[in-house]
Amino acid sequence: MRLYAICVYLFLYIPIGVIALFSFNAGRHASQLQGFSTKWYGKALSNPFVMDALETSLIVAFCSALCASVFGTMAAVALQGIRGPVRAAFDMLIYVAVMIPGIVIGIATLIGLVTVFDQLNPLIAAIWPNGFEPPKLRMGIGSLIAAHTMFLMALVVIIVRARLAGMDRALTEASSDLYATPMGTFRQVTLPMIFPAILAGFLLSFTFSFDDFIIAFFVAGSETTLPIYVFSSIRRGVTPEINAIGTMVMGVSLFLLISAQLLLQRGGKKSR
Amino acid sequence: MTQRTRTWLLLAPAGTWFLVMLIIPLTVVFIFSFGERAPSGGVVLAFSFEQYANLPARWAAFKNTMTLAPIGTLSALLIAYPLAYFLAVKANPKWKTILLVLVIVPFWTSILIRSYAWIFLLGGRGIPALLEWVGIEGLRLINTPFAVLIGIIYGYLPLMVFPIYVSLDKLDKRLLEASSDLGAKPWKTFLQITLPLSIPGIATGCMLVFILLMGEYLIPALLGGGKVFFVGNALVDLFLQSRNWAYGSAVAVTLVVVMLITVTIYMRLISRLGASREDVSIM
Amino acid sequence: MTKKTIDHISKKEFMEKLESYRKGSITRRHFLNVTGLGAAAAVMGASVPGLRPQPAFAGDIGDRVVLATWPNYHDPANFDAFTEATGAHVQVNVFGSNEEMLAKLQAGATGWDVYVPTNYTFEDYVKEDLIEPLDTSLLPNFDASAFDARYAEAGSVNGKLYGVPKNWGSTGMAVNTKHNGGNAISSWREFFDITMDKFSGRTIVHDYQLTTIGSALNAFGYSFNSVDEKELADAEKLLIDVKPHLFAITSDYQPGMRNGDAWLTICWSGDGKQLNTDMPEIAYVLGKEGGEIWSDYWAIPKSSERKAAAYALINFMLDPSVNAKEVLAHGYPTADSRTYDQLPDDLKSDPIIFPAQELLSPLEFGAAVTLTDPNRAELMARFKSA
Repeated sequence: MRLYAICVYLFLYIPIGVIALFSFNAGRHASQLQGFSTKWYGKALSNPFVMDALETSLIVAFCSALCASVFGTMAAVALQGIRGPVRAAFDMLIYVAVMIPGIVIGIATLIGLVTVFDQLNPLIAAIWPNGFEPPKLRMGIGSLIAAHTMFLMALVVIIVRARLAGMDRALTEASSDLYATPMGTFRQVTLPMIFPAILAGFLLSFTFSFDDFIIAFFVAGSETTLPIYVFSSIRRGVTPEINAIGTMVMGVSLFLLISAQLLLQRGGKKSR
Repeated sequence: MTQRTRTWLLLAPAGTWFLVMLIIPLTVVFIFSFGERAPSGGVVLAFSFEQYANLPARWAAFKNTMTLAPIGTLSALLIAYPLAYFLAVKANPKWKTILLVLVIVPFWTSILIRSYAWIFLLGGRGIPALLEWVGIEGLRLINTPFAVLIGIIYGYLPLMVFPIYVSLDKLDKRLLEASSDLGAKPWKTFLQITLPLSIPGIATGCMLVFILLMGEYLIPALLGGGKVFFVGNALVDLFLQSRNWAYGSAVAVTLVVVMLITVTIYMRLISRLGASREDVSIM
Repeated sequence: MTKKTIDHISKKEFMEKLESYRKGSITRRHFLNVTGLGAAAAVMGASVPGLRPQPAFAGDIGDRVVLATWPNYHDPANFDAFTEATGAHVQVNVFGSNEEMLAKLQAGATGWDVYVPTNYTFEDYVKEDLIEPLDTSLLPNFDASAFDARYAEAGSVNGKLYGVPKNWGSTGMAVNTKHNGGNAISSWREFFDITMDKFSGRTIVHDYQLTTIGSALNAFGYSFNSVDEKELADAEKLLIDVKPHLFAITSDYQPGMRNGDAWLTICWSGDGKQLNTDMPEIAYVLGKEGGEIWSDYWAIPKSSERKAAAYALINFMLDPSVNAKEVLAHGYPTADSRTYDQLPDDLKSDPIIFPAQELLSPLEFGAAVTLTDPNRAELMARFKSA
C-alpha cells in the first residue's frame, strides 16, 4: 500500500521535477541539459511581457474571485429563504453554468458579446456628444472578468449553500426572536458561520481563474494572461524560460498552500 | 424593507450576470447554429438545419471524446482510489496533512505547464530513449491516444483523489474494526462497508473529471500532435481557423446536449446506487 | 485616439494639436503620436547610428511592440538590438497559418502591431478593412526599386501600398535521408507513398489547408491552387488514407525533426535550410510536380494601437544589414538587392536558399481564392477530425 502511494507521488512529481530541472539548463533548447544556470529566471523576470501577463492574470483572478464571492454569497443567502419558480430558475442556471464545458462558455461569450457590441457600438457613437471620441465596447480584460465571474459565481453559490444547509436554523430563528434586525442576524450569526465557505469559494475561484486557459483564449481579446503567454511560447518552440516560469508558479502555490494549511491548523487548535 | 425586496435585491446582481453572460450568449450560439457560413467567415442568419445535417463530418471528434473521456475518468478513478484510501485510512496522521497538500499542489498548478512536461517525457528523447536503453526499440508515445490518456490521468488525478478522500475520511474507523472483530475478511469488509460508503466521493470525483474532459482542448492539442482530436479541438478550429461560426455553434450545441444527457443519466444511476447503499447501511 | 494617427494630418490640425500640447491638455507622447513626429523621431533614432539609444525617443514609441509571425522566422538578436536602440521590447506571437491570423483579426482586437501576411492574403485584408495602408515616408529604409517586383507586387492593392516584402521562399519537403538509405525523395507522390510505407508514423504535414491540401493535389499532378471539386475529393481521399501514418499535423515541425521523432515533413525552405545546416542528413527538396512559391510582407493591422512602434520595427528590419542577419539566421531568401549584396558568397550560391530558376518555374504562387475557399477549409477540418 505504501509502495503504491510512493509510486503515485513519483508519477505526480517526476514531471514537475523535470520541469524544474530543465529550468536551470544553460542551453537554449529545453530537451538537452547543457550545464547549470539561473539565467532563465532572470530572463523571465525581466521580460516585460511575462510580468504584464502575470499582472493581467492576477487582476483578473482577484476581481473575478471577489465579484463571484460577493454576488454568489448574496444569491446563496437569498435562495435559502425562497421556494417556487425563482428558486427553480436559479437552480437551473447554476446547474447549467457549472455543467457547460469551459470551451463552450468561451465561444458563447465571444460570439455573444461580439454580436451585442456590434449592435451597441453605433448606438453609443450616435448618442455620444460631438467632439469626443465615443468609447468602444470590445473584448478585453472586462469581458474576461465577466466571463470568469459568471461560472465562478455558480461555484460559490454551491459551496456557500452547502454550508448554509448544514447550519442550525434554530440559531437564526432565535436571533430574530430576540428582535435582531435581519441585517444584524446576518452579520452576527449567519456570516461568521458561512465565512469559511466564502473563503474557500474565494480561494478556489482565484485558482480557477488564474489557471484558466480556454475561456481566456476566446474572450481575452488583445490581453495576454499568463496561461495564454505560456501556450503561445510552447508553440514558438520550448525554451527553459517557460520552465522557469512554471517552476516559479509552482513554488509560489506550494508555499501559499502549505502556509494556509499551517494557519488553519493553528487556528483550529486555538478554537479547541 | 420587506423580505421580498431584500430577496430580490440580493438576487439581482447574480441574476443580471447570468442573463448577460450566460443566457444571452447561449441564445446567440443557439440562433447561430441555424445560420449559414458567411462567404468571408462569420455567420449569416437563416433558418436551416444544414449545420446539424453536416454533424457526421465531426463524428470522429465526438467518438474520440466519448471514448477517451470515460476511459480517462475510469483510469483516474482506479489510480486515485487506492491512494485516497491510503491517505484516509492507513497514512500516519502526523504526515497526513502534508501528504494531502502534496496531492493538491499539482492541481493548483496550471494544467498547461504540467502537460508541457509530458511533451518532453513522452518525446523521442524522454521515456522512449530510456526504453531503448533497456532494449525496447522503436516505441512511439507522443502524439498517440495513449499520450493523451497519460496527460488526462496526470492532469485530473488530484481532482479525483480529493472527493474520495473526503468521503473515506468521514468513515467511522470503528465500523472497520467491528467488521474485522466479527471475523470478516478484509476484502469483504472493503466491499461491504468501505466501498459503498465512499460512493458519494467516487460519484463526485468522476463527474468533475468527466465534465472537464468532455470540453478538453489543451491536452489533446499538446500531446496529440493534431492527430487525437476532441470536440474541443474541433471547436477551436472552427472558430479560430476556418471561421465557420454557424457550424461551430451547431457543434457546440450538440456537445452541450450530449453532455447534459450523459450527466443526467449518470446522476440517475448514482442516485439509484445511493439508494441501494442506504439499504446496505440499514442492514 | 491613435485610430487615425500619424499619416495625413493637416496643417490646421497640426497647429491645433501643437496649441493644446502647449496648454498641456494632451501629453507630449500623445502629441508626438498624433502628429507623426514620434514615429519619425523614433525611426531616425533607430536607423541613424549616431542618434541611437536616446531614451527620449524610446519613450515616444512606447516600451513595446507586438509582432505576429511564423515559427523560426527571425534572428532573436535583431529584436534585442531593436530593444536596445528604441527601448521597445518585441513580443513575438507565433501562428501556424495565414488562416489563423485572419480569423484572429476578424474576431476583433488582437493587440498586434506588426504581422507578416503572405502574398495571397492582401486582397482579403483590404476587402475586410483589417490592414493599414503604409506611409513610406515613415519607412526611410524602404526602397521600392531595390526589390524584385515578382516578390513585391502583391503588397499593393488598387495602387495602394499595404505591405513591404519581408522574405520569399518555397514550400517543399524535408527528409531525413539517414532513414532512406541516404536518399532524398523527389516528388509529392513519393512523399505520400513512403509515408504509407516505411516512414509510417514519421511524417508531419502542416496544420494549414493551403500547403497540406496543396501538396496532396500536387501528388496527383493537379494545381496547388485547385478548388475543383473532383480534384479536391482525390486529395481528401489521399489525406485520409495517409492520416493513420502521420506523426503529427502541425506547422511547428522543427522540434520533431530535430529530436528524431519525425523523418519527413512538408517544409518551408528556410526551415529546410536551418535543419540542413544543423543536421546535414536532413535534405530539403522541391517536389518535381510543383508546389508553392510565396512571398511574405511586413504589414500593420488596422487595430494596432502602437503604430509608431510598428513603423519603427518594420523600418529597423528593412535596414539591409539587419535584414542580412535575418537571412543568415532563418535561411529564407530576400527580394531586396541591397541585402542580397551583403550576403556571404556561399549563401548566395546555396541551392536551398536560392534554387536554380528551372526548379522554381513549376512552382505556383498561392491564390486568394485558395485561402478563403470554404470547401478547402472544411476539407482540412474533416481531415483533422477523421
